[in-house]
Amino acid sequence: MNRRTFLAGTATTGLAGVAGCLDVLGESHGATEDVVLDPPDRYEDLRASRDNGYLPYPIHGDELPEVSVPDVTADGPVSTRQFVGDRHVLLTFVFTRCNTVCPTLTSSFAQVQHDARENGYAEDIALLPTTFDPAYDTPERLVTFAEDVGADPSAANWRILRPESPERAEAVVEGEFGVIFSRVPEEKREMENMVWNHRSSRILANKDGYVERNYRSSLNAAGLLDEVATLRERW
Amino acid sequence: MRRRELLAGLGALGVVGTGAAYQFGGLDDRLRGGGSQVESRELERIDAPGSSPGTEVVPESGRVTYVDFFATWCSICESKMEPMGEAATAVDSEVQFLSVTNEPLGVTTTRTDVVEWWEEHDGNWPVAHDDSLELSRAVNASGVPYAAVIDADNRLVWSDAGYKTASEILDPIREARDVSPE
Repeated sequence: MNRRTFLAGTATTGLAGVAGCLDVLGESHGATEDVVLDPPDRYEDLRASRDNGYLPYPIHGDELPEVSVPDVTADGPVSTRQFVGDRHVLLTFVFTRCNTVCPTLTSSFAQVQHDARENGYAEDIALLPTTFDPAYDTPERLVTFAEDVGADPSAANWRILRPESPERAEAVVEGEFGVIFSRVPEEKREMENMVWNHRSSRILANKDGYVERNYRSSLNAAGLLDEVATLRERW
Repeated sequence: MRRRELLAGLGALGVVGTGAAYQFGGLDDRLRGGGSQVESRELERIDAPGSSPGTEVVPESGRVTYVDFFATWCSICESKMEPMGEAATAVDSEVQFLSVTNEPLGVTTTRTDVVEWWEEHDGNWPVAHDDSLELSRAVNASGVPYAAVIDADNRLVWSDAGYKTASEILDPIREARDVSPE
């Protein structure tokens, strides 16, 4: 509610909708009224690419794509937009045989889950790690993978998404979220278990269902916690 | 002045030293924060071989600190334990040498898991838990494994991600001792 008042306040100053603009308190905020985090670097370029259809992944200010994917820890599917009005959402895309980037991404979500539990916002956030390797990643493997990095996959805010088939994984993960993955031929694998090449992506969407940021490079767990904290403060 | 030389050398190291495997992070993480002040804080020390239960003040002013961040799920951290063991044996009591996990503990991964991991990989030096990520944040730990050297005046003088040999661990410790006031 504060946020709406705050936005009304900035509108009267004539600054609303300007990327990176300052409000009366000197605090910068999102590029549109749907988002509260600061726009990413080179936002104008990214926005132009996205709007022209050249950028396959959602960015700051986009609506979170709507997909419905089975949740391995519950009966029935999860819709990425079912949390609108209730929870901020974090999404990422992994395969469990990965022992480098994927556990790092998932462990940063475990840190957010831990922080949320400690600081009373467990019900304000949903963490949605998603596999793009459903043929290998059984529900059991996905649960173990989450537990290994210290997450509690039995909690209501941890939902593991597993597309029904490899084709569906491609449609969801590449098609909707622009996270390109490709199978590495056996002879080219640096390590036996590194079956897939893939882009790294963590998407933070707000309670209104808009993408605040899509982190596609290194951001450590502390950095991710800071981003979530800023979103919660400004919301 | 010698400190400045060290930091200049550090910059070059950061540029060259990109070959090592690491779980996450990049050049920016390693170049950031050179020489910045790291506030001392108390971490819970885990009851494990070489590590008595209690609290550990990190960094400890007056001694050079070498801190190595790891996680029990991290396979590169496993392979780093052997050179860590060699380095731990080589340093004397003038160096605060420790490993730190910043995993959330107590729900699915527990202190017992950390102790078992520690025993399995022959850890035999102090190991502590950075529960709130405060220390990880203070040294810009970009992932695991990640190492930092903090001089006797609490200045972050070196940090790097990834696997290291024993001499790659010991060299920045020696440099930090050379420039620290006695």
